[in-house]
Amino acid sequence: MKDFDLESLSREMPYRMPEHFLDDMTERVVAQIGKQRKHRVERRIVALFASAASVAAVALLFLHPFGGGFDIPDYESISQCASVDEVLQNMTADELGVYSMMSNYYGN
Amino acid sequence: MKREEDSIVNSQGSLSVSDESIARLLCDDNHVEEAVRLIMKKYGEPLYWHIRRMVVAHDDAEDCLQETMINVYKYRSTYSNEYPLSSWLYKIATNESLKLLKNRSGYNLSVDDLGDSLKDSVREEASPDADETLILLQEAIALLPAKQKMVFNLRYYDDKSYEEIHQIVGDSVNTLKTNYHYAVQKIKDYILEHQL
Repeated sequence: MKDFDLESLSREMPYRMPEHFLDDMTERVVAQIGKQRKHRVERRIVALFASAASVAAVALLFLHPFGGGFDIPDYESISQCASVDEVLQNMTADELGVYSMMSNYYGN
Repeated sequence: MKREEDSIVNSQGSLSVSDESIARLLCDDNHVEEAVRLIMKKYGEPLYWHIRRMVVAHDDAEDCLQETMINVYKYRSTYSNEYPLSSWLYKIATNESLKLLKNRSGYNLSVDDLGDSLKDSVREEASPDADETLILLQEAIALLPAKQKMVFNLRYYDDKSYEEIHQIVGDSVNTLKTNYHYAVQKIKDYILEHQL
């Protein structure tokens, strides 16, 4: 039987690699890596701000448990708000027309 | 330390940069792009041909090489000095090639079922003045099962030792030797059968 000596063959490939292919590829890869690094830095900054905000929120809760330190309007200040009747009294005829139409529409 | 790194970066055009130096740069966030340039300079061409021998078409080889280099960046922290840098790079390139072939074959077929379509691509991709025997050789390689193809290519074209191929492919040296032996026999048979 005939034999064939593989070692006698050239290691050359029957294909071609386009000119400047590797240089172009290098630039593309480096550019893509640069983008990924930038995104990573941005994500780190966002994570840092989120952590800082969480720490601040916990610290605030610790310093003012149950919201004791916040200004909640008391009954008196609420009662200072104008009543609906007062508002209606100050409306023009046109505004009253619109108000009445809207009230009918929303069923109030 | 800084001066040493500078000298490495300045000599990026030279192929004499050691793999240890490249690996050190790769793990340093401030020099990772230089490391990638050095890898492309030193291993870009062999990696391209390794991938191309697996996937045949230039466009596919281009996609695989780009993914390989992005993965080199992404997974650089997993590189261990226990193995040569080149073995790690070839391993990533091999995995990318197999991934592309797997995607091409779909769910119902295996990578090994792509032999005929890869063989057809060989002639389409060959340059007009290519030697007929070299085309036949590539056709024979295209028809091999993926494992035999990898082992044959790494040994025949890249002159890798079985130990290095073991680091890339993962099988035992004896299994690799068997794969190479079968590959050579099938290639010889194919060429003898098809040679004018």
